[in-house]
Amino acid sequence: MTTLPIADGMLAWLVRERRPDLARRIAETGRIETAVIGLGRQGTRHAGLMREFGTTVTAAVSPEAGLKVVHETIPVYPTVAAMLAEHPDIAAVSIWKHFSTAKYAALECIEAGIPIVVLISEGMPVRDVRDVLVAAREKGTLLLGPNTPGIIFPPERVKVGMLPDVFHPAEPEPERFTAEGVTICSRSGAILYHMSDALASAGIAQNAVIGVGGDSAIGTPFPDLVPMVMDFPGTDLVVVAGEIGGIAEELLAEAIRAHPERFPKPIVALISGRYAPEGKTMGHAGAIVSPGADWGTWESKRRALEAAGVTVVNNQWDLIEAVRDKLGGRTYFRAEDYYRRMAERWDAPPPVKRWTTRITKVEPDNLVVRGVPLVDLVAERRFAEVVGLIVDGRFPEDPSALDRVAVEAAKLPVPPVPLRDGDDPSKQLAAILLADEALAAFEGSRAERVAFALGRSAAAFGRIFGHELGEAGTLGELLVRAMAGERAAEAAVARVLEACVVASVDHGVTPPSAQATILSATVRPAYEVAVASGVMAITDVHGGAGARAAEFFLECRDRAEAEGIDLEVAAERIILERSIAGERVEGMGHRVHKRDPRRDVLWRLADEAGVSGACVRASHVVERAFRIARGMSLPVNVDGVIGAIVADMGLDPRVAKAAFVLGRIAGLSAHYFEEIDTQPQMRRVDFSRAVYTG
Amino acid sequence: MRLYEHEAKRVFAKRGLRVPESLGLLYKGCGELDVPAEVLDGGPVMVKAQVLTGGRGKAGGVAKASTPEELNAAVARILDLRIKGFPVEAVLVERAASYRGACYLGVTTDPRTAGLVLIASAAGGVDIEEVARNRPEAILKLPVAGNPAELPAADAERAGAFLAEGLGEPDLAPALADAASRLFAAFQAHDCKVLEINPLLVTDEGLLAADAKMVIDDNALYRQARLLDELGIRSKRHDVAEPTANERRAAKAGFFYVDLHPEDWKPEPGQVVVGLVPGGAGYGIFSIDEVRNVGDRFFDGRVVPFNFMDSGGGPTLARVAEMFHLLMDDPRVDLVITSRFGGISSCDTFIRGLVRALRERHADGRRVVRVHGRMVGTDLPAARAFLESAMRETPEALARLDITVGNRQIMAEVIKEGLRRHFEEVGA
Repeated sequence: MTTLPIADGMLAWLVRERRPDLARRIAETGRIETAVIGLGRQGTRHAGLMREFGTTVTAAVSPEAGLKVVHETIPVYPTVAAMLAEHPDIAAVSIWKHFSTAKYAALECIEAGIPIVVLISEGMPVRDVRDVLVAAREKGTLLLGPNTPGIIFPPERVKVGMLPDVFHPAEPEPERFTAEGVTICSRSGAILYHMSDALASAGIAQNAVIGVGGDSAIGTPFPDLVPMVMDFPGTDLVVVAGEIGGIAEELLAEAIRAHPERFPKPIVALISGRYAPEGKTMGHAGAIVSPGADWGTWESKRRALEAAGVTVVNNQWDLIEAVRDKLGGRTYFRAEDYYRRMAERWDAPPPVKRWTTRITKVEPDNLVVRGVPLVDLVAERRFAEVVGLIVDGRFPEDPSALDRVAVEAAKLPVPPVPLRDGDDPSKQLAAILLADEALAAFEGSRAERVAFALGRSAAAFGRIFGHELGEAGTLGELLVRAMAGERAAEAAVARVLEACVVASVDHGVTPPSAQATILSATVRPAYEVAVASGVMAITDVHGGAGARAAEFFLECRDRAEAEGIDLEVAAERIILERSIAGERVEGMGHRVHKRDPRRDVLWRLADEAGVSGACVRASHVVERAFRIARGMSLPVNVDGVIGAIVADMGLDPRVAKAAFVLGRIAGLSAHYFEEIDTQPQMRRVDFSRAVYTG
Repeated sequence: MRLYEHEAKRVFAKRGLRVPESLGLLYKGCGELDVPAEVLDGGPVMVKAQVLTGGRGKAGGVAKASTPEELNAAVARILDLRIKGFPVEAVLVERAASYRGACYLGVTTDPRTAGLVLIASAAGGVDIEEVARNRPEAILKLPVAGNPAELPAADAERAGAFLAEGLGEPDLAPALADAASRLFAAFQAHDCKVLEINPLLVTDEGLLAADAKMVIDDNALYRQARLLDELGIRSKRHDVAEPTANERRAAKAGFFYVDLHPEDWKPEPGQVVVGLVPGGAGYGIFSIDEVRNVGDRFFDGRVVPFNFMDSGGGPTLARVAEMFHLLMDDPRVDLVITSRFGGISSCDTFIRGLVRALRERHADGRRVVRVHGRMVGTDLPAARAFLESAMRETPEALARLDITVGNRQIMAEVIKEGLRRHFEEVGA
């Protein structure tokens, strides 16, 4: 499909009249930059639809604290000025703000010199609109609206507003579009589709469709707009869609009679409301016929326009006939092509609603964090580097700065929260984090904040496990000391345990802990609250299976020794016994992976470091033992391997869970930041799925 | 939204524009009560119909009374009036003033420019539009630049001088300028579309606003809540005409609906009455014309559109169903024409709502009329799949449903085809 070059279309031409400097940029770049002001439900939705149509949506403005990106790549700024500082070439904006604040947004855009402002907002008080009109006239802004569905330019596939993709451009040969055709200027939205449909059924193209706005006070009424679009060389005829009420059509007629030279091309007016009863208001259109007024009625409009030489019609057939007649029978495409394209468009399956993340790619047997395979991070990177990568999207220039933040954080006293013996360590950690005033008060970059939280978590685990942290040099060392105490001095233990932490860093948006943090982040709590929510969702069911797996592998080892049998046979017997008793074997199977990539790299590192013992060996053979015992193939998972390693190190089995929690705090933090950067507050789930079945 | 005279006068009084002493309001239903004779102790009174339309005087809605008999007769007579279709529900009784001059002062929005205009004329107490037509030189139209909260002093002085000269009262120029300033400030502070005093009387005690017209911008009612509370106005006033039963039912269900005919209207024999469920307000108006035009062109002018309707953005399934129920519950409706095209709202919700309504009516044995129409737009594949399976599951309930899926023909053709089918069915 070859769309019309943007610089040859009507929108670029309208910009040129007002800002020649921007028009030169458009010619250079081949793009018209647009922006969306106001990211409520409608603004957000249509930002996506405009881009899908082909519009360059460069940026958006929303005062919502923290919001940085919408639709994954459109940057969001708190003010129009901040946006223009970064994107001075923005030539057209659509404003979607609530009627109570739309005025301020419109004034900001106009005063900043943006040449084309499309004010979508509906229901603005007239006094506010008047302020906007005064400013637009002073600045020479092309203001459309308020209460407009927007503007659309089918040949170059650009739209600013909410008009749907139903308008057909001239197509002199298949898949090549040109700027010729009929320009429609309308006071109302829905009627446009039916006008366009009628014209298209006769092969008549639209090169532009412009909603002027349904209110009585609007930025660019017909007498100003029609000459403007007529000047555009591609326009062969203008269709004006008017309706009863107001004086817009009568003023157009007056202007035509006063300055016929400004209206050199044919005009057809479709006026609706001929059979509307007097004295009734009809919906948003403000189409009220005041009894006795000598303007505002269908008859007054017809009389005025016909006296000015404009053909007035009132139904689809007459519209087709009048336009065809004035165009001398010219057509712009074959009607079949229009119907075919419409059928393709409407029959296309609806876009699948996606839940996107730019943090971790999760595929069966493949995990990639911020573009780096997780296995490489496990094998080659220190945890401080991984923290910087997952939070900021790139490796930190100076990871030792993060190390220092964490080490200093760990020196502060742990809040004296009462801890109940036997409670899950993830619950104990969350309780400490929530009571931690130093964490709440911390100020620094995002990565520093996460490093600080990890330092505080290390201190908390030190208390939970009864370990002194001493003088650690790095973040990884600090965490290992919290988990392994004096054993951290052994290089092999330190190396492999830190790798276990890195291996646990993230697994996309679907794990329950990530969901808990994201859901919490939708209501914008403090950072540590959202992270603690995720930590609390780590239990024996999710993320915490390592501790139970460690116990299982120790049982295998002891059984093999005691009965003098092979590890695999011991495992097989225990599995069968547990199955008969209805108990689960932890550390096996995964919802996504068959060969969990984290498993193999941890096995390799454990072997290389010489920490592997009977438990790690058991973890290698447990898959076959399970198949023999149960007839099912269930591979060992990353929890299982971490559990086996912790067991072979002779550490508290709960350390397996601690390693997972500490690693995942970095991932949860990244999800928290991603949510507040890219989604509106209280992100909506599909409410229509909620059903009461009581 | 237009305010009643007595309400507008309370606004004037608060903003320092002198108004006649109010002696009270009398509502219809209190007509048997005699007005206490003491109200006449201070002199004659005016009895004024409170209706939301102009031309009261000509219609006999204003009377002066000097005796208890005159007063009671005037109250009874005026409460019995209908003025331009509006029944008089209340009368205002206030002290009559003796005056030596009358003028007009108003602020309004110029429909051409949406700008503000101050209008003044020494010809007060008469139809100002008539003056504008016959003696344009007697009217000062002063466009006010920009959108200021207060009338610029130069404009106020000019208006004051113009009126003072016209009234032959040069000493009054400052007082008239002050009245213009106060009126303008009230117009802006209360988001008015029209605010006028006609007449503004010149009395020995000073200027007196003897009548008041105030129309507030509907879009600004939200921020005039304090004023509305003070006046005891609790909901937006339907200031055009009383809503019909169908209109009230639609308002309750959350969509906009207008009956095109009076409540007691009956179609003539042989006429076909078409209910409309269009998409969007703009097409809602146009579809009325389309149906009538198709009828005039192909069916001897026997086709009568019944209503205007606008579902509002993204209607729920239940609301869509109610839109069809409402029309089919009205025995005058013979046929429903419906359209979904483009737009934001989902074809799937629309067709599910429509099918639900038809199934409910079929199950309850309620009246079902032919529904003819077209849908194109968002969620079309799901809507088509639903419609096909619904047709298979409950063919009897949907026997008179005929929806064209996709734009294979323009809506005018769909309307024509629906009417042709209807006439075929009734054998006319």
